[in-house]
Amino acid sequence: MAVIVKPRTGSWRLLVALLLVPASIWAQAPLAHGTRSVVVLDAAHGGDDSGGQLGRGLPGSSAGESPVATVAEKSVTLTLSVRLRSLLAARGFAVVTTRESNVNLDADARAQVANHALALACLSLHATESGTGVHVFVSSLAPKDTRSGGRFLAWKTAQAGYVTQSLKLASVLNSAFEQSVAGGSAGSGSNAGVEAAAIPVSLGRTSLPGVDSMACPAVSVEVAPVRGADRQVVTDVTDTQYQTRIVEALAAALMEWRTEADTEAASHPKSSGGPQP
Amino acid sequence: MIPRYQKIVFIGLLVVSIVMAVVLVRLRERAHDQLLKGEDLAPTSAPAVAPAEAATLLVANDMDGTLVEVKTSLPLPKDAGARARALLEKLFEIYAAAGAMHPVAGVARPVQQVFLLTVPEGAATNKNGSSTAAGMLAVVNLSGEFADGHPAGIAAESLTVESICATLHANLPQIAQVRFLVNGEVRKTLAGHADLTRTYLTSEIPSTAVTGTQPAGEARGVVQP
Repeated sequence: MAVIVKPRTGSWRLLVALLLVPASIWAQAPLAHGTRSVVVLDAAHGGDDSGGQLGRGLPGSSAGESPVATVAEKSVTLTLSVRLRSLLAARGFAVVTTRESNVNLDADARAQVANHALALACLSLHATESGTGVHVFVSSLAPKDTRSGGRFLAWKTAQAGYVTQSLKLASVLNSAFEQSVAGGSAGSGSNAGVEAAAIPVSLGRTSLPGVDSMACPAVSVEVAPVRGADRQVVTDVTDTQYQTRIVEALAAALMEWRTEADTEAASHPKSSGGPQP
Repeated sequence: MIPRYQKIVFIGLLVVSIVMAVVLVRLRERAHDQLLKGEDLAPTSAPAVAPAEAATLLVANDMDGTLVEVKTSLPLPKDAGARARALLEKLFEIYAAAGAMHPVAGVARPVQQVFLLTVPEGAATNKNGSSTAAGMLAVVNLSGEFADGHPAGIAAESLTVESICATLHANLPQIAQVRFLVNGEVRKTLAGHADLTRTYLTSEIPSTAVTGTQPAGEARGVVQP
Protein backbone atom coordinates (compact mmCIF):
# COMPACT_ATOMS: atom_id res chain seq x y z
CA MET A 1 0.00 0.00 0.00
CA ALA A 2 1.48 3.25 -1.12
CA VAL A 3 1.40 6.22 1.13
CA ILE A 4 1.31 9.49 -0.66
CA VAL A 5 2.51 12.42 1.33
CA LYS A 6 2.21 15.84 -0.09
CA PRO A 7 5.49 17.51 0.63
CA ARG A 8 5.92 21.12 1.28
CA THR A 9 7.99 23.20 -1.17
CA GLY A 10 11.22 22.88 0.86
CA SER A 11 10.75 19.14 1.11
CA TRP A 12 10.38 18.88 -2.67
CA ARG A 13 13.77 20.48 -3.08
CA LEU A 14 15.24 18.03 -0.59
CA LEU A 15 13.65 15.11 -2.40
CA VAL A 16 15.00 16.26 -5.76
CA ALA A 17 18.44 16.72 -4.24
CA LEU A 18 18.34 13.22 -2.75
CA LEU A 19 17.36 11.79 -6.11
CA LEU A 20 20.15 13.65 -7.89
CA VAL A 21 22.93 12.55 -5.52
CA PRO A 22 22.86 8.84 -6.47
CA ALA A 23 22.55 9.85 -10.11
CA SER A 24 25.68 11.97 -9.90
CA ILE A 25 27.55 9.19 -8.09
CA TRP A 26 26.51 6.73 -10.77
CA ALA A 27 27.65 9.14 -13.46
CA GLN A 28 31.08 9.66 -11.88
CA ALA A 29 31.68 6.03 -11.04
CA PRO A 30 32.99 5.02 -14.46
CA LEU A 31 35.47 7.90 -14.31
CA ALA A 32 36.80 6.94 -10.89
CA HIS A 33 36.78 3.17 -11.25
CA GLY A 34 36.16 2.55 -14.89
CA THR A 35 39.85 1.65 -15.54
CA ARG A 36 39.99 4.02 -18.52
CA SER A 37 40.93 7.40 -17.12
CA VAL A 38 42.53 6.85 -13.75
CA VAL A 39 46.25 7.46 -13.45
CA VAL A 40 48.21 6.76 -10.27
CA LEU A 41 51.21 8.98 -9.55
CA ASP A 42 53.63 7.71 -6.94
CA ALA A 43 56.12 10.32 -5.75
CA ALA A 44 58.89 8.08 -4.45
CA HIS A 45 60.35 8.40 -0.94
CA GLY A 46 58.99 10.90 1.59
CA GLY A 47 59.05 11.50 5.33
CA ASP A 48 62.14 10.02 6.95
CA ASP A 49 63.19 8.51 3.64
CA SER A 50 64.75 11.42 1.77
CA GLY A 51 66.07 9.32 -1.12
CA GLY A 52 69.20 10.59 -2.79
CA GLN A 53 70.71 14.03 -2.45
CA LEU A 54 70.65 15.82 -5.77
CA GLY A 55 72.82 18.60 -7.05
CA ARG A 56 75.98 17.65 -5.16
CA GLY A 57 77.96 16.20 -8.06
CA LEU A 58 79.38 12.73 -8.00
CA PRO A 59 82.62 11.10 -6.95
CA GLY A 60 84.91 11.23 -9.90
CA SER A 61 83.41 14.39 -11.33
CA SER A 62 85.69 17.20 -12.16
CA ALA A 63 87.22 19.00 -9.21
CA GLY A 64 86.58 22.34 -10.80
CA GLU A 65 82.82 22.14 -10.35
CA SER A 66 81.46 24.62 -7.91
CA PRO A 67 79.49 23.11 -5.05
CA VAL A 68 75.72 23.32 -5.54
CA ALA A 69 73.07 23.39 -2.84
CA THR A 70 71.60 19.94 -2.46
CA VAL A 71 67.93 19.05 -2.61
CA ALA A 72 66.38 15.80 -1.43
CA GLU A 73 65.01 13.38 -4.01
CA LYS A 74 61.70 13.23 -2.11
CA SER A 75 61.14 16.95 -2.79
CA VAL A 76 61.85 16.67 -6.50
CA THR A 77 59.56 13.67 -6.93
CA LEU A 78 56.75 15.45 -5.09
CA THR A 79 57.18 18.52 -7.28
CA LEU A 80 57.04 16.39 -10.42
CA SER A 81 53.96 14.58 -9.11
CA VAL A 82 52.10 17.80 -8.32
CA ARG A 83 52.93 19.35 -11.69
CA LEU A 84 51.99 16.22 -13.61
CA ARG A 85 48.76 15.87 -11.63
CA SER A 86 47.69 19.37 -12.69
CA LEU A 87 48.43 18.67 -16.35
CA LEU A 88 46.58 15.35 -16.30
CA ALA A 89 43.58 16.77 -14.47
CA ALA A 90 43.34 19.48 -17.13
CA ARG A 91 43.27 16.74 -19.75
CA GLY A 92 40.37 14.89 -18.16
CA PHE A 93 42.20 12.24 -16.18
CA ALA A 94 41.23 11.22 -12.68
CA VAL A 95 44.53 11.34 -10.84
CA VAL A 96 45.27 9.38 -7.69
CA THR A 97 48.48 10.29 -5.88
CA THR A 98 50.16 8.19 -3.23
CA ARG A 99 51.26 11.25 -1.28
CA GLU A 100 50.62 14.97 -1.38
CA SER A 101 53.06 15.99 1.31
CA ASN A 102 56.22 14.90 3.10
CA VAL A 103 54.88 11.75 4.75
CA ASN A 104 56.28 8.27 5.37
CA LEU A 105 54.88 5.65 3.02
CA ASP A 106 56.22 2.14 2.52
CA ALA A 107 56.20 0.18 -0.72
CA ASP A 108 53.17 -1.91 0.24
CA ALA A 109 51.08 1.17 1.03
CA ARG A 110 51.94 2.66 -2.37
CA ALA A 111 50.93 -0.55 -4.13
CA GLN A 112 47.67 -0.66 -2.13
CA VAL A 113 46.77 2.83 -3.32
CA ALA A 114 47.54 1.85 -6.92
CA ASN A 115 45.63 -1.43 -6.75
CA HIS A 116 42.52 0.15 -5.26
CA ALA A 117 42.42 2.69 -8.08
CA LEU A 118 42.09 0.10 -10.90
CA ALA A 119 44.23 2.47 -12.90
CA LEU A 120 44.87 2.83 -16.58
CA ALA A 121 48.54 3.52 -15.77
CA CYS A 122 50.73 3.81 -12.69
CA LEU A 123 53.86 5.97 -12.71
CA SER A 124 56.45 5.80 -9.95
CA LEU A 125 58.48 9.01 -10.07
CA HIS A 126 62.15 9.08 -9.03
CA ALA A 127 65.09 11.43 -9.46
CA THR A 128 68.80 10.81 -9.43
CA GLU A 129 72.17 12.45 -9.90
CA SER A 130 73.58 9.52 -11.89
CA GLY A 131 73.39 9.04 -15.61
CA THR A 132 71.74 11.32 -18.10
CA GLY A 133 68.21 12.04 -19.27
CA VAL A 134 65.20 10.00 -18.31
CA HIS A 135 65.41 6.36 -17.25
CA VAL A 136 62.25 4.34 -17.74
CA PHE A 137 62.11 1.03 -15.88
CA VAL A 138 59.68 -1.85 -16.13
CA SER A 139 59.50 -4.69 -13.63
CA SER A 140 61.95 -7.52 -14.28
CA LEU A 141 59.28 -10.11 -13.49
CA ALA A 142 58.55 -12.55 -16.29
CA PRO A 143 55.19 -11.93 -17.98
CA LYS A 144 52.41 -14.14 -16.67
CA ASP A 145 48.99 -14.70 -18.19
CA THR A 146 46.55 -13.83 -15.42
CA ARG A 147 43.62 -15.25 -17.36
CA SER A 148 44.83 -18.78 -16.61
CA GLY A 149 46.10 -18.06 -13.12
CA GLY A 150 42.80 -17.92 -11.25
CA ARG A 151 41.26 -14.99 -9.45
CA PHE A 152 44.12 -14.19 -7.10
CA LEU A 153 47.53 -12.65 -7.70
CA ALA A 154 50.54 -13.10 -5.43
CA TRP A 155 51.18 -9.76 -3.75
CA LYS A 156 54.92 -9.59 -4.40
CA THR A 157 54.56 -10.57 -8.07
CA ALA A 158 51.22 -9.00 -8.95
CA GLN A 159 52.92 -6.96 -11.67
CA ALA A 160 53.77 -10.16 -13.58
CA GLY A 161 50.29 -10.16 -15.10
CA TYR A 162 50.77 -6.63 -16.40
CA VAL A 163 54.41 -6.69 -17.54
CA THR A 164 53.52 -6.94 -21.22
CA GLN A 165 51.29 -3.86 -20.95
CA SER A 166 53.93 -2.08 -18.86
CA LEU A 167 56.50 -2.67 -21.60
CA LYS A 168 54.10 -1.20 -24.12
CA LEU A 169 53.48 1.78 -21.85
CA ALA A 170 57.26 2.30 -21.59
CA SER A 171 57.44 2.28 -25.37
CA VAL A 172 54.69 4.93 -25.56
CA LEU A 173 56.60 7.07 -23.05
CA ASN A 174 59.74 6.73 -25.15
CA SER A 175 57.89 7.85 -28.27
CA ALA A 176 56.42 10.81 -26.41
CA PHE A 177 59.85 12.00 -25.34
CA GLU A 178 61.07 11.74 -28.94
CA GLN A 179 58.09 13.69 -30.20
CA SER A 180 58.42 16.34 -27.51
CA VAL A 181 61.91 17.08 -28.81
CA ALA A 182 60.85 17.04 -32.45
CA GLY A 183 57.81 19.12 -31.63
CA GLY A 184 59.98 21.91 -30.33
CA SER A 185 58.85 22.05 -26.74
CA ALA A 186 61.90 24.11 -26.14
CA GLY A 187 62.21 26.37 -23.20
CA SER A 188 62.87 30.03 -23.32
CA GLY A 189 65.47 32.18 -21.73
CA SER A 190 69.22 32.00 -21.63
CA ASN A 191 69.45 28.24 -22.03
CA ALA A 192 66.72 27.82 -24.62
CA GLY A 193 69.17 26.28 -27.03
CA VAL A 194 70.18 23.74 -24.46
CA GLU A 195 66.57 23.00 -23.62
CA ALA A 196 65.84 22.27 -27.27
CA ALA A 197 68.46 19.52 -27.33
CA ALA A 198 67.39 15.91 -27.14
CA ILE A 199 66.64 14.32 -23.78
CA PRO A 200 68.21 10.86 -23.83
CA VAL A 201 65.82 8.12 -22.73
CA SER A 202 66.99 4.73 -21.54
CA LEU A 203 64.73 1.74 -21.09
CA GLY A 204 65.46 -1.00 -18.59
CA ARG A 205 64.13 -3.77 -16.40
CA THR A 206 64.63 -3.94 -12.66
CA SER A 207 63.10 -5.23 -9.44
CA LEU A 208 61.39 -2.61 -7.31
CA PRO A 209 59.25 -3.84 -4.39
CA GLY A 210 56.46 -1.27 -4.80
CA VAL A 211 56.08 -1.57 -8.56
CA ASP A 212 56.30 -5.38 -8.48
CA SER A 213 53.13 -5.41 -6.34
CA MET A 214 51.10 -3.09 -8.57
CA ALA A 215 48.25 -4.65 -10.53
CA CYS A 216 48.23 -2.10 -13.35
CA PRO A 217 50.45 -1.14 -16.28
CA ALA A 218 53.28 0.41 -14.26
CA VAL A 219 56.61 2.03 -15.01
CA SER A 220 59.21 3.80 -12.91
CA VAL A 221 60.35 7.09 -14.38
CA GLU A 222 63.70 8.27 -13.04
CA VAL A 223 64.75 11.79 -13.97
CA ALA A 224 68.49 12.43 -14.20
CA PRO A 225 70.35 15.58 -15.23
CA VAL A 226 71.13 16.09 -18.89
CA ARG A 227 74.88 15.75 -19.43
CA GLY A 228 77.01 16.81 -22.33
CA ALA A 229 79.59 14.74 -24.17
CA ASP A 230 82.14 15.57 -21.48
CA ARG A 231 79.71 14.21 -18.84
CA GLN A 232 79.30 17.61 -17.25
CA VAL A 233 75.79 18.57 -16.16
CA VAL A 234 74.09 20.72 -18.79
CA THR A 235 70.61 20.81 -17.24
CA ASP A 236 70.03 19.92 -13.62
CA VAL A 237 67.13 17.88 -12.30
CA THR A 238 65.87 20.88 -10.36
CA ASP A 239 65.65 23.04 -13.51
CA THR A 240 62.03 24.19 -13.83
CA GLN A 241 62.01 24.20 -17.64
CA TYR A 242 63.49 20.73 -17.71
CA GLN A 243 60.81 19.48 -15.35
CA THR A 244 58.13 21.14 -17.49
CA ARG A 245 59.36 19.35 -20.60
CA ILE A 246 59.31 16.05 -18.77
CA VAL A 247 55.82 16.35 -17.30
CA GLU A 248 54.46 17.57 -20.64
CA ALA A 249 55.95 14.56 -22.38
CA LEU A 250 54.52 12.26 -19.72
CA ALA A 251 51.07 13.84 -20.05
CA ALA A 252 51.21 13.48 -23.84
CA ALA A 253 52.22 9.84 -23.46
CA LEU A 254 49.35 9.12 -21.11
CA MET A 255 46.88 10.74 -23.50
CA GLU A 256 48.24 8.51 -26.26
CA TRP A 257 47.97 5.54 -23.90
CA ARG A 258 44.33 6.42 -23.13
CA THR A 259 43.54 6.70 -26.83
CA GLU A 260 45.04 3.27 -27.45
CA ALA A 261 43.07 1.87 -24.52
CA ASP A 262 39.83 3.35 -25.86
CA THR A 263 40.55 1.95 -29.32
CA GLU A 264 41.27 -1.43 -27.81
CA ALA A 265 38.11 -1.30 -25.71
CA ALA A 266 36.06 -0.44 -28.79
CA SER A 267 37.46 -3.38 -30.72
CA HIS A 268 37.31 -5.80 -27.73
CA PRO A 269 34.44 -4.58 -25.56
CA LYS A 270 34.94 -7.27 -22.87
CA SER A 271 38.63 -6.65 -22.32
CA SER A 272 39.75 -4.45 -19.45
CA GLY A 273 42.88 -2.54 -18.47
CA GLY A 274 45.30 -0.97 -20.92
CA PRO A 275 45.90 -1.89 -24.53
CA GLN A 276 46.42 -5.60 -25.05
CA PRO A 277 49.67 -6.75 -26.61
CA MET B 1 140.05 -30.73 64.58
CA ILE B 2 136.99 -29.62 62.64
CA PRO B 3 133.93 -29.47 64.74
CA ARG B 4 131.02 -31.75 63.77
CA TYR B 5 128.55 -28.94 63.14
CA GLN B 6 130.89 -27.35 60.58
CA LYS B 7 131.10 -30.62 58.65
CA ILE B 8 127.32 -30.81 58.51
CA VAL B 9 127.04 -27.21 57.22
CA PHE B 10 129.73 -27.83 54.58
CA ILE B 11 128.01 -31.00 53.30
CA GLY B 12 124.65 -29.21 53.22
CA LEU B 13 126.03 -26.29 51.20
CA LEU B 14 127.67 -28.72 48.79
CA VAL B 15 124.41 -30.58 48.22
CA VAL B 16 122.53 -27.30 47.67
CA SER B 17 125.18 -26.15 45.16
CA ILE B 18 124.88 -29.38 43.19
CA VAL B 19 121.05 -29.14 43.13
CA MET B 20 121.24 -25.52 42.00
CA ALA B 21 123.64 -26.46 39.21
CA VAL B 22 121.30 -29.19 37.97
CA VAL B 23 118.33 -26.80 38.05
CA LEU B 24 120.28 -24.16 36.12
CA VAL B 25 121.26 -26.68 33.47
CA ARG B 26 117.61 -27.77 33.08
CA LEU B 27 116.38 -24.16 32.82
CA ARG B 28 119.00 -23.44 30.19
CA GLU B 29 117.95 -26.48 28.16
CA ARG B 30 114.28 -25.48 28.40
CA ALA B 31 115.05 -21.93 27.23
CA HIS B 32 117.04 -23.35 24.34
CA ASP B 33 114.13 -25.59 23.32
CA GLN B 34 111.71 -22.67 23.39
CA LEU B 35 114.07 -20.63 21.25
CA LEU B 36 114.23 -23.42 18.68
CA LYS B 37 110.43 -23.66 18.61
CA GLY B 38 110.17 -19.93 17.97
CA GLU B 39 112.54 -20.19 15.06
CA ASP B 40 110.40 -22.94 13.54
CA LEU B 41 107.31 -20.67 13.57
CA ALA B 42 109.08 -17.80 11.85
CA PRO B 43 108.73 -17.60 8.06
CA THR B 44 111.81 -18.98 6.41
CA SER B 45 110.83 -18.23 2.82
CA ALA B 46 108.97 -15.48 1.00
CA PRO B 47 105.22 -16.14 0.43
CA ALA B 48 104.32 -17.35 -3.02
CA VAL B 49 102.67 -14.62 -5.16
CA ALA B 50 99.80 -15.89 -7.28
CA PRO B 51 100.54 -15.48 -10.96
CA ALA B 52 98.53 -12.90 -12.88
CA GLU B 53 95.59 -14.37 -14.72
CA ALA B 54 93.26 -13.05 -17.36
CA ALA B 55 89.88 -11.95 -16.05
CA THR B 56 86.77 -10.36 -17.51
CA LEU B 57 85.07 -7.50 -15.73
CA LEU B 58 81.61 -6.26 -16.68
CA VAL B 59 81.95 -2.54 -16.05
CA ALA B 60 78.86 -0.33 -15.82
CA ASN B 61 78.46 2.82 -17.87
CA ASP B 62 76.02 5.39 -16.46
CA MET B 63 75.82 7.38 -19.68
CA ASP B 64 74.13 4.67 -21.72
CA GLY B 65 73.16 2.20 -18.99
CA THR B 66 75.16 -0.69 -20.37
CA LEU B 67 77.69 -3.19 -19.05
CA VAL B 68 80.95 -3.06 -20.96
CA GLU B 69 83.24 -6.09 -21.09
CA VAL B 70 86.76 -5.19 -19.95
CA LYS B 71 89.61 -7.70 -20.18
CA THR B 72 92.23 -7.38 -17.50
CA SER B 73 94.98 -9.33 -15.80
CA LEU B 74 95.41 -9.62 -12.06
CA PRO B 75 96.77 -12.07 -9.47
CA LEU B 76 93.95 -14.36 -8.36
CA PRO B 77 93.96 -16.76 -5.41
CA LYS B 78 93.15 -20.43 -5.89
CA ASP B 79 90.23 -20.42 -3.45
CA ALA B 80 87.03 -19.62 -5.33
CA GLY B 81 85.60 -17.35 -2.63
CA ALA B 82 88.81 -15.35 -2.32
CA ARG B 83 89.00 -15.23 -6.11
CA ALA B 84 85.50 -13.77 -6.34
CA ARG B 85 86.35 -11.16 -3.72
CA ALA B 86 89.54 -10.16 -5.57
CA LEU B 87 87.57 -9.75 -8.80
CA LEU B 88 84.95 -7.54 -7.17
CA GLU B 89 87.56 -5.40 -5.45
CA LYS B 90 89.22 -4.84 -8.83
CA LEU B 91 85.82 -3.87 -10.25
CA PHE B 92 85.23 -1.37 -7.45
CA GLU B 93 88.73 0.06 -7.95
CA ILE B 94 87.63 0.99 -11.47
CA TYR B 95 84.46 2.62 -10.11
CA ALA B 96 86.44 4.60 -7.54
CA ALA B 97 88.97 5.91 -10.05
CA ALA B 98 88.79 9.51 -11.22
CA GLY B 99 86.70 9.90 -14.38
CA ALA B 100 84.96 6.54 -13.93
CA MET B 101 81.92 5.93 -16.14
CA HIS B 102 80.04 4.62 -13.11
CA PRO B 103 81.47 6.60 -10.21
CA VAL B 104 81.17 5.07 -6.74
CA ALA B 105 83.11 6.42 -3.78
CA GLY B 106 86.09 4.23 -2.94
CA VAL B 107 86.29 2.65 0.52
CA ALA B 108 89.00 0.61 2.21
CA ARG B 109 87.40 -2.82 1.93
CA PRO B 110 84.15 -2.73 -0.07
CA VAL B 111 83.67 -6.51 -0.13
CA GLN B 112 84.09 -8.16 3.25
CA GLN B 113 83.59 -11.75 2.11
CA VAL B 114 82.16 -13.82 -0.71
CA PHE B 115 80.74 -17.17 0.37
CA LEU B 116 80.06 -19.86 -2.22
CA LEU B 117 77.40 -22.46 -1.48
CA THR B 118 76.26 -25.37 -3.60
CA VAL B 119 72.63 -25.22 -4.62
CA PRO B 120 71.12 -28.46 -5.96
CA GLU B 121 68.82 -28.29 -8.96
CA GLY B 122 65.27 -27.34 -8.03
CA ALA B 123 66.20 -26.50 -4.44
CA ALA B 124 64.98 -22.96 -4.86
CA THR B 125 62.59 -21.02 -7.02
CA ASN B 126 63.03 -17.63 -8.51
CA LYS B 127 60.56 -14.75 -8.25
CA ASN B 128 58.63 -16.12 -11.18
CA GLY B 129 58.00 -19.40 -9.42
CA SER B 130 60.09 -21.62 -11.68
CA SER B 131 62.81 -23.91 -10.33
CA THR B 132 66.37 -22.73 -10.52
CA ALA B 133 69.15 -24.69 -12.18
CA ALA B 134 71.92 -26.37 -10.18
CA GLY B 135 75.00 -24.31 -9.50
CA MET B 136 76.67 -22.19 -6.87
CA LEU B 137 75.06 -19.49 -4.79
CA ALA B 138 77.43 -16.59 -4.15
CA VAL B 139 76.67 -14.58 -1.03
CA VAL B 140 78.39 -11.21 -1.38
CA ASN B 141 78.87 -9.44 1.93
CA LEU B 142 79.35 -5.75 1.16
CA SER B 143 80.64 -3.26 3.68
CA GLY B 144 78.19 -0.77 5.15
CA GLU B 145 80.56 2.03 4.23
CA PHE B 146 80.36 1.05 0.56
CA ALA B 147 76.55 0.80 0.58
CA ASP B 148 76.12 4.08 2.46
CA GLY B 149 78.39 5.90 0.02
CA HIS B 150 76.78 4.48 -3.11
CA PRO B 151 74.98 7.02 -5.34
CA ALA B 152 71.20 6.73 -4.98
CA GLY B 153 69.11 5.94 -8.03
CA ILE B 154 67.38 3.04 -9.74
CA ALA B 155 69.77 3.04 -12.68
CA ALA B 156 72.97 3.51 -10.67
CA GLU B 157 72.15 0.86 -8.09
CA SER B 158 70.81 -1.64 -10.62
CA LEU B 159 73.96 -1.25 -12.71
CA THR B 160 76.16 -1.96 -9.69
CA VAL B 161 74.19 -5.09 -8.79
CA GLU B 162 74.15 -6.28 -12.39
CA SER B 163 77.86 -5.66 -12.89
CA ILE B 164 78.65 -7.66 -9.73
CA CYS B 165 76.50 -10.59 -10.85
CA ALA B 166 77.78 -10.50 -14.43
CA THR B 167 81.44 -10.25 -13.38
CA LEU B 168 81.10 -13.20 -11.01
CA HIS B 169 79.37 -15.31 -13.65
CA ALA B 170 81.87 -14.37 -16.37
CA ASN B 171 84.84 -15.58 -14.32
CA LEU B 172 83.20 -18.30 -12.23
CA PRO B 173 80.53 -19.76 -14.53
CA GLN B 174 79.37 -22.17 -11.83
CA ILE B 175 77.82 -19.20 -10.00
CA ALA B 176 74.14 -19.27 -10.94
CA GLN B 177 72.67 -17.17 -8.14
CA VAL B 178 73.83 -14.17 -6.14
CA ARG B 179 72.54 -12.82 -2.85
CA PHE B 180 73.70 -9.73 -0.99
CA LEU B 181 74.39 -8.89 2.62
CA VAL B 182 75.61 -5.61 4.05
CA ASN B 183 77.80 -5.90 7.12
CA GLY B 184 76.64 -9.50 7.44
CA GLU B 185 72.95 -8.62 7.58
CA VAL B 186 70.10 -8.52 5.10
CA ARG B 187 69.40 -4.97 3.92
CA LYS B 188 66.32 -3.94 1.96
CA THR B 189 68.04 -1.84 -0.67
CA LEU B 190 71.54 -0.85 -1.70
CA ALA B 191 70.99 2.92 -1.43
CA GLY B 192 67.21 3.25 -1.41
CA HIS B 193 66.25 1.59 -4.69
CA ALA B 194 67.84 -1.71 -5.83
CA ASP B 195 66.23 -4.65 -4.04
CA LEU B 196 68.83 -6.56 -2.00
CA THR B 197 66.37 -8.98 -0.41
CA ARG B 198 65.94 -11.12 -3.52
CA THR B 199 68.17 -13.73 -5.12
CA TYR B 200 69.58 -12.58 -8.44
CA LEU B 201 69.90 -15.20 -11.15
CA THR B 202 72.96 -14.64 -13.30
CA SER B 203 71.01 -15.95 -16.29
CA GLU B 204 68.62 -13.00 -15.93
CA ILE B 205 71.34 -10.36 -16.06
CA PRO B 206 71.35 -8.66 -19.47
CA SER B 207 74.50 -9.27 -21.44
CA THR B 208 76.68 -6.50 -22.79
CA ALA B 209 74.35 -4.09 -24.52
CA VAL B 210 75.01 -2.06 -27.61
CA THR B 211 73.63 1.42 -27.74
CA GLY B 212 70.29 1.78 -29.44
CA THR B 213 69.89 -1.75 -30.79
CA GLN B 214 67.81 -3.42 -28.09
CA PRO B 215 64.04 -3.43 -28.25
CA ALA B 216 62.30 -2.06 -25.20
CA GLY B 217 62.50 -4.41 -22.28
CA GLU B 218 65.09 -6.81 -23.65
CA ALA B 219 68.12 -5.00 -22.34
CA ARG B 220 68.90 -1.56 -21.14
CA GLY B 221 70.01 0.61 -23.97
CA VAL B 222 69.91 4.29 -24.63
CA VAL B 223 67.50 5.68 -27.16
CA GLN B 224 68.68 8.89 -28.71
CA PRO B 225 65.96 10.84 -30.45
